[in-house]
Amino acid sequence: MDLSLTESQQLLKQSVEDFIEREAPRDTLVELQQTERGFNDTIWKTAAETGWLGMLIPEQYGGGGAEFTDAAVVYEALGHAPMPGPMFSSGVLSAQIIQHVGSEEQRQRHLPAIASGEVICTFALTEPEYRWGLHGVRMRPREDGEHYVLDGAKLFVYDAHAADYVITAVRTGDGEDDIGLLMVDTKTPGISTRRLGGFTSSESEVIFQNARVPKSALLGRPGGVRNALDRALMNATPLLCAYQVGGAQAVFDLSVKYSRERVQFGRPIGRFQFVQNHIVQLVNHLDAARWTTYEALWKLDSGREATVSVHLAKAVTSEGYREACDYAHEVHAGTGVMREYGLTLFTRLSRSLYHALGEPRYHRKRLADLVATIAVD
Amino acid sequence: MDFAPSYTPEQEAFRSEVRAWLSEHMPKTGGDLDSDENYRKFRQLGRDLGKRGWLRPTAPKQYGGGGLDVASAIVLYEEMDAYGLPIPPYYDSGGWLGGASILVWGTEEQKQRLLPPIFTGDVVTWQLLTGPEAGSDLAGTKTDARRDGDEYVINGEKIYVGGSHGADQFWTITRTNPDGDRHKNLSWFMIPANLPGITVRPMELLGDGGEGIGAGVKNTVYFDNVRVPAANLVGGENNGWQVASTHLELEHGSGGSVGRNRWFTRALRWANEQQRDGRPLIEDPEARDRLVDIFVLTEISRLFGLRNFWMNRTHQPMTYEGPQSSYFRKLSGLKITEALHSLFGPYALTHDERWDFSEGTLDAYQRSAIVALHPGGTADIQKVIMARRIGMGREERESAGKTVE
Ligand SMILES: Cc1cc2nc3c(=O)[nH]c(=O)nc-3n(C[C@H](O)[C@H](O)[C@H](O)COP(=O)(O)OP(=O)(O)OC[C@H]3O[C@@H](n4cnc5c(N)ncnc54)[C@H](O)[C@@H]3O)c2cc1C
Repeated sequence: MDLSLTESQQLLKQSVEDFIEREAPRDTLVELQQTERGFNDTIWKTAAETGWLGMLIPEQYGGGGAEFTDAAVVYEALGHAPMPGPMFSSGVLSAQIIQHVGSEEQRQRHLPAIASGEVICTFALTEPEYRWGLHGVRMRPREDGEHYVLDGAKLFVYDAHAADYVITAVRTGDGEDDIGLLMVDTKTPGISTRRLGGFTSSESEVIFQNARVPKSALLGRPGGVRNALDRALMNATPLLCAYQVGGAQAVFDLSVKYSRERVQFGRPIGRFQFVQNHIVQLVNHLDAARWTTYEALWKLDSGREATVSVHLAKAVTSEGYREACDYAHEVHAGTGVMREYGLTLFTRLSRSLYHALGEPRYHRKRLADLVATIAVD
Repeated sequence: MDFAPSYTPEQEAFRSEVRAWLSEHMPKTGGDLDSDENYRKFRQLGRDLGKRGWLRPTAPKQYGGGGLDVASAIVLYEEMDAYGLPIPPYYDSGGWLGGASILVWGTEEQKQRLLPPIFTGDVVTWQLLTGPEAGSDLAGTKTDARRDGDEYVINGEKIYVGGSHGADQFWTITRTNPDGDRHKNLSWFMIPANLPGITVRPMELLGDGGEGIGAGVKNTVYFDNVRVPAANLVGGENNGWQVASTHLELEHGSGGSVGRNRWFTRALRWANEQQRDGRPLIEDPEARDRLVDIFVLTEISRLFGLRNFWMNRTHQPMTYEGPQSSYFRKLSGLKITEALHSLFGPYALTHDERWDFSEGTLDAYQRSAIVALHPGGTADIQKVIMARRIGMGREERESAGKTVE
């Protein structure tokens, strides 16, 4: 057993941290958060050029062919910034879906462009009657010769406002497995995307009005999506968890530092047991998130069955990140809610990512279905 | 025991009068309640209420209050609450808390001069307590007031204060004897906002703190050699901590409340209206569980507020009850926002005009519940006070601050 990072993982981590210190310090990120796009070209170009973006994509498709744990090291460091942008949506989630659901021809066509950053891609599952999971997919295209015609809305799609392609989940028939994933070009007439304002990060709407999408945009074969998509989601989820772990680590770091520096009643506030309690609770959530995430990654890398671990990690991490931010706010009081300080960048993400790829309740439900198998193992 | 306020025929007649008056005078407001235009309307409503003594219903009549009994005051709060508004219908916690402090500690001359403008809604007052160096440790303030003839000269900085639409006056606590003993070196002043040397600069915070209309923005206020008449020193030199004990007590929740937390009612209505899998969300057992979570929390908050209102208005001795309701409200705010998030999913986070069904209230609450952990003393400070008042580990129980003359 060895739970430490390898030397090359340490170096990788260092290189991401160096980049952040140079190009994306916290005050820059506070400003970026206010902009319409939410990220900038420097971030995007660096992610592409350093290979972080396409790390998980196999080498034959222009990626780095890295292990899950290597990529997680990068995503954790990005979450610590917290770095905005569609890196996860495009380079991990969409790439995994194309890799597992798409045909060989589709992989060759799309993956290299995603790895190089030329094309930004995201995944649209949920609709106005919001519910994570395939049974929430209602959008049913009309068939018209060589085209599907799409009408309706996909809602709370991360990064759609910046995307060239939206992998859109649609219903192709009445059966449970009649699900199709369409690689939809957002420049298609009748399609519009818009970022939603609020305590959100990059949640967007995608509106389809009589949008004609060629049938060749269908990833893989109709009816054969469910298992392959599940595989892709199992692979992608722990990397989002790693990003959340990085965020929780950052709010822990901020809180400890503040507890040493802020003086009230003639002593550092970290001497007050109530403040100590906040930080103790915070670090418990952080470590729970970290180790459930790392174990899931290890299972994926070593080819073990990872389903239980992935659901566990996402439930624990999403709850933990949210709680970690709440505790950090208690520690910081007034300072923490000042925009320029930067804590609220994390708070916003902890809310926004709470429901990304399924809220904790969803993952706990999947665990409930699986606990019997855990006991037998 | 009787939880229902009982009303005499006169009080019932008063309700009809209030209802009729409000339906005639309630301004039409739309869109952002905090807009300049709406704020002006609420200010006018406040002045109209003030003329009738309804702005501070239980404050003494001779100083511009209503001199009403508790049940009549409840009638007023309830009728305003039916419009979703508090009394006053704008942010004036400085008037409420400062007025109460002057009533307890002011000289007769000060009461006659300072109270009527507050009680009749003529002025808006901000409370200036927190400094960069003095948050929880309010007594550690480094804002100084130095006596010079008939005036005091004030220098220092206060943060996180006031609201969006300016104020006519401030009150603040200052250090009048830098070398004096802790708690015995402070003085309390009422300060006209237009004095030379005062600068107000808005701050950018996460949310509006849930303090009501007009509280949207918090400010930094700088005092640079500001000359304040000595007649505006309330409670005597170096007696400021005593004066503060009155408004701090009230701010910690000892005044109580009779309104109800609207979050349950709203959430219930939306859960009936929202569809999931072609059926109302309310039919989902999980959604019902979350609604019950909200119901339980809001009912407890309501009862703590009601108990405190009764204790305060009937002059029962109070100890930990104020900070208890404040603590519970702060912490349950976070739990309610999580329950709402889980109930409505990402809808709870957006104010997008096409998709938000809550008129922006859900998104605003996700932020303001975090921000509201801090004003009027952090949740931790409420616990510290509760511990002292309960007498944990000490024989002597600290008593509550004096809130009535
Ligand atoms: C929205 C909003 C509105 C506000 N409105 C006003 C206003 O109108 N007027 C005004 O004067 N101020 C106002 N404030 C300021 C507010 O009162 C202070 O933020 C609050 O008192 C805490 O002070 P601080 O932020 O400096 O935190 P600090 O006092 O620095 O506290 C930091 C941490 O230390 C803890 N701590 C400190 N002392 C102790 C102790 N003895 N024991 C245990 N834990 C301790 C705190 O609980 C917190 O966790 C407002 C603040 C906000 C956010």
